[in-house]
Amino acid sequence: MVRRVRAEIGSAMFSTGSKYFFGITFLGAVSFAIYMLLIGESAIGATALFGLVGATGLLTALVLSTRDGSKDEEGVAASTAAPTASILPLIGAIGATLLLVGTITSPVVTLFGIVALLAAIVEWAVLSWSERASSDAAFNASLRKRLLNPIEFPVIAAVGLGVIIISFAQITLAIDKSVGAIAFIVLGSLVLAVGVLFSVRPSLKRGLVIGICVVGALGIVAAGIAGAGVGIREELVHAKEEGHYMHQECGAEKSKYFDKLPLEGVSATSSVDTHIDLIDGKLVASVQGIAGDQKTITIPRSNATNIVFRNMSDGEYRLVASLGSKMVTTDVKEDVVQCTQLIPQGSEQMLTLNIPKPAEAGKPFTLTVPGLTGQSIEVIVP
Amino acid sequence: MRHQNTTDHGTTAVNRLAGMRRRVVGSIAGLAGTMFLAGCATNAPQDTFQPKGPNAKIIDDLQKPVFAVAGIIGVFVTVVVIIAVFKFRDKGQPIPHQSHGNPALEITLTIIPALILTVVGVFTFRTVFDLAKTSDTEMIINVTGQQWWWEYDYPVQNEYGITQPIITSGQLVIPAGTKVLLRQTSRDVIHSYWIPALNGKRDAVPGRVHLNRIEADKPGIYAGQCTEFCGLSHANMRMEAVALSKADFAKWVANQLKPYASPAENTLAKEGETVFMNQCIRCHQVNGMKRADGTPVIAAPDENMVSGAAPNLSHLMSRNTFAGATFDLLNKSCREDVWGAESESFGAKYLGGVSEDCLNQTDLRGWLRNAPAMKPMYANPALLTSSGGKYRGMPNLGLTESDIEKLVAYLLTLK
Ligand code: HEC
Ligand SMILES: [Cu+2]
Repeated sequence: MVRRVRAEIGSAMFSTGSKYFFGITFLGAVSFAIYMLLIGESAIGATALFGLVGATGLLTALVLSTRDGSKDEEGVAASTAAPTASILPLIGAIGATLLLVGTITSPVVTLFGIVALLAAIVEWAVLSWSERASSDAAFNASLRKRLLNPIEFPVIAAVGLGVIIISFAQITLAIDKSVGAIAFIVLGSLVLAVGVLFSVRPSLKRGLVIGICVVGALGIVAAGIAGAGVGIREELVHAKEEGHYMHQECGAEKSKYFDKLPLEGVSATSSVDTHIDLIDGKLVASVQGIAGDQKTITIPRSNATNIVFRNMSDGEYRLVASLGSKMVTTDVKEDVVQCTQLIPQGSEQMLTLNIPKPAEAGKPFTLTVPGLTGQSIEVIVP
Repeated sequence: MRHQNTTDHGTTAVNRLAGMRRRVVGSIAGLAGTMFLAGCATNAPQDTFQPKGPNAKIIDDLQKPVFAVAGIIGVFVTVVVIIAVFKFRDKGQPIPHQSHGNPALEITLTIIPALILTVVGVFTFRTVFDLAKTSDTEMIINVTGQQWWWEYDYPVQNEYGITQPIITSGQLVIPAGTKVLLRQTSRDVIHSYWIPALNGKRDAVPGRVHLNRIEADKPGIYAGQCTEFCGLSHANMRMEAVALSKADFAKWVANQLKPYASPAENTLAKEGETVFMNQCIRCHQVNGMKRADGTPVIAAPDENMVSGAAPNLSHLMSRNTFAGATFDLLNKSCREDVWGAESESFGAKYLGGVSEDCLNQTDLRGWLRNAPAMKPMYANPALLTSSGGKYRGMPNLGLTESDIEKLVAYLLTLK
C-alpha cells in the first residue's frame, strides 16, 4: 500500500525538468555546506552559493508546480478546473514585505519574513502541482495532504505550543511570585476539568468544543500580551540590575534580589583542586593529594584552578580571593578580587582562579572571609 | 594471436601479483624480525619491562605473569588450530558425523577462562589500588603540561629545605628512595606523563588534577615522553626524571634557591643580560632579575603564549636538556659522561650542571637563531592575528649573531 502511494507520488511529482533543477539545488546546497565548513571566513563565496541554492530552489518549485510547463505531461490536460482560491499568495506577499522591512529594522523580522515566504512557496507549489495531478479534485486534495500534512501538523502544533508557553511565561513574569503559583494551579485544574468534561461527554456539539478551546487559547494569549505590556515585576528588574547569575559583591551584601541559588551547588566535584572549609570560625584548605589541613596553597601560573568554598559555620559567609592588582591603563591600577556569593551553612560554591603572575614581594595573594579576622589562606603562585 | 595476447596479459598479472605477495610477506617478516630484535635491545631507556622503582615494579609483577599465561594460551590455541586445519583438510573424505552441543564441555570451557580472568582481575584491582595510594606520600611536586614541554613546581616543603617554591622544566629532579606524588594538570590540551621505568602513564587534563606516584630506587636519569597526542610537536614533548641521592637532592635544592646574581659589569654576559631584558622577558621568567631602577622583572607569558607559560630560565644550566627535553645542553662527550655514569657517581656529575666547555653550542645557538626550525611550533609572527596575538612555542626572534653570542654568555651564568 505504502509503496504504491510512493510510486504514484514519485511518478506524478518528478518531471524531467524538475529533476534537473532539483539536482542543481542539491549540489548547490552541499557545496554551500562544505564551503561554510571548510572556508567559512570568506562571506562572499558563501553568499554566492546561498544565492544559487535560493534561485535554483525557486526554479525547482516553479517547474514542479507547472509540471515543466508542458502540455503533454500527464495530468495537465486533466485539470481543467480553475485553481482554488488560496490565502497562500497573501502570506507570501506578507513574507516578502517582512523580509524587506527586516533589512532596515531588525534581523528577527527578516527571519519571520523568510520563514513565511518559504512556507508560502512550498505550500503553494505543492498545492498547484496537486491540483493538476488528475481530473479528480478529491484525489488531488488527498495527494496534497499526503505530502504536506506530515510537515504541517507538527509545525502548527509546535508553533501553537510555543505561543501558549511564551504567553504563560509573560504572565508569570509580570505577577507576584506566589500569586503566579496559585493562578496556575487554578488554571491547570480548569484545563483538566474541561478535558475530563469533553471525554465523558463525547456527545457535546463540535462547535461548542471548538468554541471553548479557542476562547481559552485566546484568553491565555491576551493575558500574555497584557503581561508583556505591564513588564516584569519589580524585584526581577532589580535582580537584573544586580547581575542575576554573575552577581559579584565582595564585601557585605548590599543587593537583595539577585538569584543566589543557581551557584550554590557544585557538580564539578571531581575537578576540584582545593577545598576551602570554614569550620568553627576557622579557615582551612584541603588540597587534593596533600594530607592534612593547609594554610597555604600553591597553584601554577596561568592555569585555571578550581577551588570550592564550603561553609560549615553558622551564618552566611563568602570567600574573597584578593589577587593583587593589575594595570588597567598605563597609570591606573585596579585591585583584582574574586568572590563567591554569600552562602548559608552547609552550602558550597566554586571559584575558578587563573592567576597570570606571581604576587609582588610583601603583598601575598590571600583567601579570606569578610567578617572573620585573623583567618586567611595564602595563595602562592611560583 | 588475440588469444595469445590475453594469456600474456594474464601471466604478467599473475607475476605481478606474486611479486606483490613476496614484497608484502617480505616486509611483514622484516617488521617482525625488527620487532623481535628490538625486544633484545640493551639501550632501551623507555623499556616497560625494566622497572627501576617500586611502582613500575608493581606493574611489572602483574604484567609478566599475565603475559606468560596469555602467551601459553595463545600458543596452545594457535597450534591446535593449525593441527586441525591440516589434519582435517578436504581430501575428498565423506562429511563426518555432525553433533550438536556438548553441555559438559561447554560449561568447562566457560568456567576455566572465567576462573583465569577472576584471578587476573583480583591481582589487577590490587595493583590499581596500590598505585592509587597517596597516604604514604613523602613529597609533592606540581606537574603542568603545555604544548610542548613540562613544567614542575615544588611547593614549600621545609623538610627538604624547600623554603621557597622552586620552578623548573623538562627534567624532574627527585630524591631517590622517596615516594613522590605528582599533581598533574595541563594548561592547554590533554597530555600524558609517562616515565616507563618509574610508573605507568597518567593523563594531564586541563581543569583537573590527576595524581601520579613515582619513586626511583637508585640515582639516575629515567627518560619518558608525552603519551597523549597533543599537536604538532607531540613527538618532541619529552621529559626525564632525574633521581639524586638525598644528600645530592639537598644540594640541588640549595642551588635552585640561590639568589640571582647579575653578571659583572663590562662582560659579554652583562651585555647578554640587556639583550635578554629586551627580547626574552616577555615570556621567560628569571627569578630575582631586576631592572636598572631596581624594580623586579616579571615575565608576561600570559600575554604572549596560548598556554600562558614559558619555561622559567632561572637555573637553565642546572638541567642538561632543553625545549621539552628534546635537545641536549651538554655536548656529546660531556653528555656521555653524565648519562653513562654509575649510580654512585651520577649525582655529583649531574650537579655539575653545564659549564662553558661542556655546552652544546650548536643546538643552543640554533634554538636562539630560529627555534621553530628545530622543533615544529605554531610560532610564526606573520600569523599572529589568527591566533589572537599569541604563540604556541617559541618564535624566531630574528636575533643577530652578536646578540646570540651575548645571550649564550649570559645563559651560561644561569646555573
Ligand atoms: C613569545 C615567547 C617567547 C620569547 C619572546 C622567547 N621565548 Fe624562549 N621559549 C618560549 C617557549 C614557549 C619555550 C618552550 C618551547 C618548547 O619547549 O616547546 C621556550 C624555550 C626556550 C628555551 C629552552 C628552555 C627549557 O628549559 O626547555 C630557552 C633556552 C629559551 N627559550 C631561550 C630564550 C631566549 C634567550 C629568548 C630571548 C632571546 C627567548 N627564549 C624568547 C617562548 C619564548
Ligand atoms: Cu603532550
